[in-house]
Amino acid sequence: MMETAWIIPLFPLLSFLILLLFGRRLKEASAFVGILLTLASLVYSILVLFERFTAPTYKSEAAWLNIGDLHLTAGFEVNQLNALMLVIVSLVSCLVHTYSKGYMHGDERIPVFYAYLGLFTFAMQGLVLSPNLLQTYIFWELVGVGSFLLIGFYFYKEEAKAAAKKAFIMTRIGDVGLLIGMILLFWQTNSFEYDEIFKAVREGAISQGWITLTALLIFVGAVGKSGQFPLHTWLPDAMEGPTPVSALIHAATMVAAGVYLVAALFPLFAASKTALLTIAIIGAFTAIFAASIGLVQTDIKRVLAYSTVSQLGYMMLALGSAGYVAGVFHLMTHAFFKALLFLAAGSVIHAVHTQNIEEMGGLWKKLRLTGPLFLIGTLAISGVPLLSGFFSKDEILAAAWEGGHPILFLLAVIAAFFTAFYMFRLFFMVFTGEARSEMKHVHESPGVMTLPMIVLGVLAVISGYVNTPWFGTFLGDWLTKGNDSLGHSHVEGPGWIMIVATLVSLAGIFLAWLIYGKKSLSRDWLSGRGGALHTILYNKYYIDEFYQLTIVSLTKGMSYFLRFIDLFLVEGIVKGVAGFVQGLGKTGSKVQNGQVQTYGAMAFVGLAVLVVIFALTGGYLK
Amino acid sequence: MSSIPASAFLALALILFCIGLYGALSKRNTVIVLISIELMLNAVNINLVTFSKYGIKPSITGQIFALFAITVAAAEAAVGLAILIALYRNRKTVNIDEMDTMKH
Amino acid sequence: MTFSGEFIAFMLLALAAVIGGVLLLNLTNVVHMIIALVFTFVSIAGIYILLSAEFIAGAQILIYSGAITIIMLFGIMLTKHNDTSEGKPSLWRRLFLLLGVLGFAFAVYIGIYNLDLAPQTNHLHENNTLQIGKALYSKHIIPFELTSVLLLVALVGSIILAKKDEKGGE
Repeated sequence: MMETAWIIPLFPLLSFLILLLFGRRLKEASAFVGILLTLASLVYSILVLFERFTAPTYKSEAAWLNIGDLHLTAGFEVNQLNALMLVIVSLVSCLVHTYSKGYMHGDERIPVFYAYLGLFTFAMQGLVLSPNLLQTYIFWELVGVGSFLLIGFYFYKEEAKAAAKKAFIMTRIGDVGLLIGMILLFWQTNSFEYDEIFKAVREGAISQGWITLTALLIFVGAVGKSGQFPLHTWLPDAMEGPTPVSALIHAATMVAAGVYLVAALFPLFAASKTALLTIAIIGAFTAIFAASIGLVQTDIKRVLAYSTVSQLGYMMLALGSAGYVAGVFHLMTHAFFKALLFLAAGSVIHAVHTQNIEEMGGLWKKLRLTGPLFLIGTLAISGVPLLSGFFSKDEILAAAWEGGHPILFLLAVIAAFFTAFYMFRLFFMVFTGEARSEMKHVHESPGVMTLPMIVLGVLAVISGYVNTPWFGTFLGDWLTKGNDSLGHSHVEGPGWIMIVATLVSLAGIFLAWLIYGKKSLSRDWLSGRGGALHTILYNKYYIDEFYQLTIVSLTKGMSYFLRFIDLFLVEGIVKGVAGFVQGLGKTGSKVQNGQVQTYGAMAFVGLAVLVVIFALTGGYLK
Repeated sequence: MSSIPASAFLALALILFCIGLYGALSKRNTVIVLISIELMLNAVNINLVTFSKYGIKPSITGQIFALFAITVAAAEAAVGLAILIALYRNRKTVNIDEMDTMKH
Repeated sequence: MTFSGEFIAFMLLALAAVIGGVLLLNLTNVVHMIIALVFTFVSIAGIYILLSAEFIAGAQILIYSGAITIIMLFGIMLTKHNDTSEGKPSLWRRLFLLLGVLGFAFAVYIGIYNLDLAPQTNHLHENNTLQIGKALYSKHIIPFELTSVLLLVALVGSIILAKKDEKGGE
């Protein structure tokens, strides 16, 4: 199976092409095309993964471009990380495809939607199969295109349009860093191949300074894609897209690309302490920063978006603390419970037609299936014991502690507390309390939507058990097998970390229950205490406004200035040249008046000038 | 021998040539333009005859050449006038400004 | 330079020729211009005599002063002969031309001024017509015959060109 793993991305691509060509005729039936093809891709991915458990890494490459001595190759590689990512991507994508069948029901542009989903999935699968940086970069940009199209799917909505543009531009800023880093790496190692690069790093062919520089530049690309501070602002705005798309973007494809890139290039990062520390700091800061914003948001999807940013920060923190396994593990568990949360949120939105949690309440009784599933996701992300999030988060905390960054560890613990608090705040506000009067005709979503949620719910519970301190660290052993540069398979942290993590999340849940569940504490108790703080948090630290004031206005000012230059200087020169030529042409056409006499006169005067010049300079006689 | 230097004749020829040239390029009546061209030919003939006498090797050939030139000039005048008449019949003008079909 | 009779004759003839040329440029009546040109042609004939070329001088008077001038007069009479004010081209163009002509004249004059030809002994004036005849009928016989062909062609061509278009028949 592994020899033909390249077929996997072709299924979604085929879906994309079919829907592009025949979508108009297929109408709602196009959903089946997308679902079946992604299902095929999922089955194939699972087969490849199972084969990879026993077989060694398979890599196949063919010459792509030969420019002089430069040989560029294209191909695919199936190593542990790739195989795992393939399954995650295919699974989430397949479930999202299925879910969209119900969620997008009645939309006229279903074929377009499924075509975009296909393209998006294809790009992500291509990305994880890439064996070299150049190919990665191509798919990386394709992922960006896919997200742009999907976020801007409701293009007639101004906000969606703006959000799509914002997502594209913000990630592009990161991509520039990635591109520069890639080119510098190529300059240093003369290869785009991951293996070649790692070999060069191992053998010390690149100086330490270069490693740090290129690693940081590539990390900038990951920052853009994975919504890390300071390029995170596009991710919450991306909520303007349809909810299944949010699930896909947040769980498996777009934002996972950044974490995946860091994981895939981990040996490079591991070679530089500075790069790792930077990643860890940015990750930890993003985790707590986004979590604090999530505390006060009132839009259900935005809360989830900030939780994604925060969880991605966790993953970066893990990778930065040399916890390769912890990062990838959390990437996997997060993919499941975050997809579950988004799909459940979509189900809620589908039922009540609003995204504002202030207007929800008492939905527990009405959404008999969505409610418990949402609770599972909430428990998982909060790190309640025995669910998947608990194990991966514990792993990350242990990695951070062992990495020797007590401050970062503390930040991560606080972020965990915040996470538990805002997730249960969300849960209590949506599902408990009194039902609003206008919510009379609320009904549960159709089976096509609940089925993917059930699958994800099961996974969100059990997926953590592949790597636990109690039942063996199967995932970690497998991921690091045959590759020492990836670090330890399992970080054996002190036992108290697990207890602290549990206590912190339970404390967060308890506080949320006090305020929003039991209502024994007034909701204004907190916001009243720190009115200014609340305002700041509600406005997301004014980051958008800050960008608006500084970068955007600076750019605008510069563009006005450049426009001025263009209008008066460039245009002036152009017009001057054009005017000169025009004048010349007019004079010329006046001379061309058709009279032989004038022609003769001109020819003669020209001759006379030549003769005079020769006579004065001596001419040929000299 | 002659007391007049050769350059005097040549200078006269030059002056006449320039007058003819100026006339040919500035006059607007076609007949006058033709006549100006005759004047230029005459100036050339003066040169030929002058060199026939004052050249490094004086010879009658210069005069013969001048004779031929006169003959050709006469033929040219006749043909030129015929063209002029034909043109005039078609365009009702001898004004050179209005003969600008080359423009189109 | 002595004021020999030859010199005086040259000066007078040259002056007449140049005056004729200048009048050609400045007169407005077309017929007057032609008459001014006759002066020039006759003066040039005189110049030919000074250059010991009597036969050419004769031919000059016959062909230019006689034939060509008459042809030109015919041309004028057959077209708009009473068109006196012919209108001048624009000032800048005349200036432009004048500059060109003067520059040309200046350049050629430099060549003439530096030309120093020592007078050679020659026998051109002795039986000039006989010499021309001998040369014409011996050494230059083929060009001579060709000239006759040229004249014939010119004759026929002129007639055809000037002939009224029979179909048009104005």
